Amino acid sequence: MIQAALKNIRRSPYQAVAAIFVISLTMFIVALFSLVSVASQQILLTFETKPQIIAYLKDGHTTEQVNQLLTQLSTTQGVKRAIYISKQDALELYKKSVGNDPMLLGTVTDWGIVTADILPASVEITAQSPESFTVIAAVLEKSDIVSTTPQGKREIDFPQDVVAELTKWTNAIRIAGLVLVGALILVSIMTIIIIISMKVSGRRLEINTLKLLGAKNFYIIKPYILESVLYGVAGALVGWLLAFIALLYSTPFLSVRIGSVISFPIPFVSLLILLIGMVFFSSALSLFSGLFAAVRFVKRSK
Amino acid sequence: MIEFAHVTKKFPTGEIVLDDISFIINPGEFVCLTGKSGVGKTTLGRLLIRDLLPTKGEIKVDGEDLSQMKPRDTPRLRRKIGFVFQDYKIIPDKTVAENITFALEIAGVYPKEIPSRIEKLLKLVDIPSKGNLFPLQLSGGELQRASIARAIAADPPILFADEPTGNLDKETSIEIFNLLKKINEGGTTVIMATHDVTLINVHRARLIHLEKGKIAYDKDNLTAKELEKSAAKDKSNKK
Repeated sequence: MIQAALKNIRRSPYQAVAAIFVISLTMFIVALFSLVSVASQQILLTFETKPQIIAYLKDGHTTEQVNQLLTQLSTTQGVKRAIYISKQDALELYKKSVGNDPMLLGTVTDWGIVTADILPASVEITAQSPESFTVIAAVLEKSDIVSTTPQGKREIDFPQDVVAELTKWTNAIRIAGLVLVGALILVSIMTIIIIISMKVSGRRLEINTLKLLGAKNFYIIKPYILESVLYGVAGALVGWLLAFIALLYSTPFLSVRIGSVISFPIPFVSLLILLIGMVFFSSALSLFSGLFAAVRFVKRSK
Repeated sequence: MIEFAHVTKKFPTGEIVLDDISFIINPGEFVCLTGKSGVGKTTLGRLLIRDLLPTKGEIKVDGEDLSQMKPRDTPRLRRKIGFVFQDYKIIPDKTVAENITFALEIAGVYPKEIPSRIEKLLKLVDIPSKGNLFPLQLSGGELQRASIARAIAADPPILFADEPTGNLDKETSIEIFNLLKKINEGGTTVIMATHDVTLINVHRARLIHLEKGKIAYDKDNLTAKELEKSAAKDKSNKK
């Protein structure tokens, strides 16, 4: 059966190249879109799971006042976690984030050595979802221990806008990607249907003879189905390879920009899973298209 | 057993090709279906393999009514009846062996057995060295033999040969006829549709003669000449 399918491909190599090219292009875009989708989801998740709201506290607040605020926050709907970061904790976090860089640690700065005194204490709140931001912000606005800017605004780091913007972009990318992939899938399906229909119709005599000899429809369409599945597998492999090369070349660029969120290089196992998924998807796509074209013709012949 | 009971076939053009035909063919019989070109011999064959359905009447093969048969059962029926086509229907871009392979695969023969089966078949039809040749490389007689080999590849109990000698010279025609006789001796029911009665002049067979879509004579164990005499006698007796 495989021999018959390969023979069919050899008989019309240009049609085979056209089919594989279109499927490869589709699969390349599918691979890129999958990677971008996963990456954007990861970025969004990072932002969403970070302490999303930081409220800086006035100097001279008491433990009682802080506990009162924390209790109030913990009973507020949508708050996942609220923790107090003292001046000392803030210093430790600062040191951790800058490493052993003496310049940043302030040993040679005009300020002298960075101490806990110059850093503000804060309350870090993790929300269950960005929708809870407004309620949490309202609680913080009412608190007396949250410091205010010279303009009279409460000093609250509020990443809602960033997340909202990011969500907007991610959704836009997803929609655009889906539309593009959808269009390319349609083109791939049509290409395979046209190619297989042409081949099946060119074998009209053979098909009619086989039917008269008592062949079942499945026996007749088997080589054509296999041929289209071979196109699908080849297309998936080429598409994946192109995506892999593109990723390899863009890794230095990406690791600088989003390296803190996604670890580069992407593990090969993940790429292998992507390949398996693509092969299955592409084969199913080709199987459906080939089956549609072949069955349609064979059913019409006696 | 093949049974045609009051079978009429009318084409959409209005032409009645077969008109109230009835006969029974028992297993192992050798039947010559004679009549001029266009008298309905091929139509009768096509009805037998359910390529066409009768307008009226009943066709039964081994007790199974073909009109009542579900379309999905047609392949099973066709595997029971080897068909030698008037135009051979040998697939042109496949070798003789590949053409026979199709029939064997369709019959579900185990792939390992196929080469030895092909070898035996080619020997039986007397073209043992032509397996790897393409149809264009064969003579008319060889092509007909290849067609017969493909038709009997799956050991069908019935063989319908539609004008198997139509395009052949007399000597080759006799060889093909003898080959069909040989196949019949192996127990296969053979129905040979032919307009060439000279072939049957030297052999005795059951003759079903069609005229204007009807059975004119159906006589057993006669040569064509004897049949003609018998028919003439029948006519004069009637007068």
